[in-house]
Amino acid sequence: MAASFSLVGWNRFKRSYDFALILGVALFFAAHLAAGFLGAPAGQAPSELQVVIRASGAAAFSLLTFILCIGPMARLTPRALPLLYNRRHLGVTCFLIALVHAALVLLWYHGFSQVNAFISLLTSNPRYGSFGGFPFESLGLAALLILFVMAATSHDFWNAVLGPRLWKALHMGVYAAYGLLVAHVMLGAAQGETGLAQAALAGGSALLVAGLHIAAGRREAARDAAETEPADGWLNAGLAADIADGRAVIVVPPEGERIAVFRDGAKVYAVANACRHQGGPLGEGRILDGCIVCPWHGFQYRPEDGCSPPPFTEKIQTYRTRITGGRVFVEAAPQPPGTAIAPSLIEEAG
Amino acid sequence: MNADTAAMIWLALGAYLGLGLLIGLGVAAFGLARLTPGAAHMPWRVRLLILPGLAALWPVVLLRLAGVRAPEDRT
Ligand code: HEM
Ligand code: FES
Repeated sequence: MAASFSLVGWNRFKRSYDFALILGVALFFAAHLAAGFLGAPAGQAPSELQVVIRASGAAAFSLLTFILCIGPMARLTPRALPLLYNRRHLGVTCFLIALVHAALVLLWYHGFSQVNAFISLLTSNPRYGSFGGFPFESLGLAALLILFVMAATSHDFWNAVLGPRLWKALHMGVYAAYGLLVAHVMLGAAQGETGLAQAALAGGSALLVAGLHIAAGRREAARDAAETEPADGWLNAGLAADIADGRAVIVVPPEGERIAVFRDGAKVYAVANACRHQGGPLGEGRILDGCIVCPWHGFQYRPEDGCSPPPFTEKIQTYRTRITGGRVFVEAAPQPPGTAIAPSLIEEAG
Repeated sequence: MNADTAAMIWLALGAYLGLGLLIGLGVAAFGLARLTPGAAHMPWRVRLLILPGLAALWPVVLLRLAGVRAPEDRT
């Protein structure tokens, strides 16, 4: 296999991912615009701008729902893994569509009054003390600000400057934004501004996102509790033959970080499961051209020593392995990042 | 909320982001290498791409430039 295969492969994949994204958004808009104009009862046709406002709001919200479903889906089935890669383009697109939505609202609902549109946005509904009457547009604004900060810090540069912890904490804000948006759409419907169908859809979406997260969390907890009881500091990683070629199983030590046990042909290696980039689950990635490729953004590591191939300098911890009776055992204690360790060899049975 | 409060909110937001934009331009021009060595030779395209973030998070960026960083985050 050519040395550059994985690079080209990932890049081509990235391009078709972006293409699918643009196509999906375009189709969504087309369907929404068509429904908005054709579906309206005769004589009550909404203005063009109003239809675009609704379509862009719905597109941004649906995209965000999809984004939030990818994470747990990838934990439930490896088939959803390709969606994880390049997820940040989805987030930035979502923010841009939401920005169009907000700008058009400002223009259409607040642009024609005597009062400055920005002031009018915050004051036209003054019932901040009410629950059902709370100004739903202010909730949308708060969510938009959160989406902005996340889109603005999605470049890798920010991961390096903020540090993985702060970056992650910041991007957890997406759940706050999502909550605000569900309230935005539902309150809007309660106040007769947004559609009832849209509100029902928002509620359903929220249930779907919550349900998927709970299911994935349960699955993970069950997996963590499964047969990895330590014996003399070595952990049982299951049968070697059960590890798919080029893939890994993830072992959870009683304490410390998760371990990814990879199989490359007849060779078995173990490395830390957390990617140096943003902590992506390396054990859910695969080996391409002799390198472990992180499923999130494609960082690469050599399984034999945990080092990224030159010119990169990332290093992860490695672990000693042994195979006894067809079973892989991995030492619970890690070696320092970048330590070369000889693989254990699977003997061909028969 | 009355108009004065609303005006204050927008003014505060505008001042924060406006100041951030000025600081961000300065950092994008002169401060990237000090922030993270990998960014020393970033093309201007990418510098523009991170400018909104610099405008939004300039207090953290200034802290990092001053050398404040959580111990567990290696550079
Ligand atoms: C400054 C920020 C925002 C303002 C002022 C705002 C305002 C509005 C208004 C006035 C409507 C009713 C439109 C109509 O029915 O004619 C609406 C609906 C909606 N907005 Fe927003 N919004 C903001 C941000 C957002 C964001 C960030 C999202 C999603 C990411 C969003 C998603 C929606 C959705 C899904 C609807 C329902 C559309 C429908 O009824 O079909 N909004 N918004
Ligand atoms: S987390 Fe981004 S590449 Fe691994």
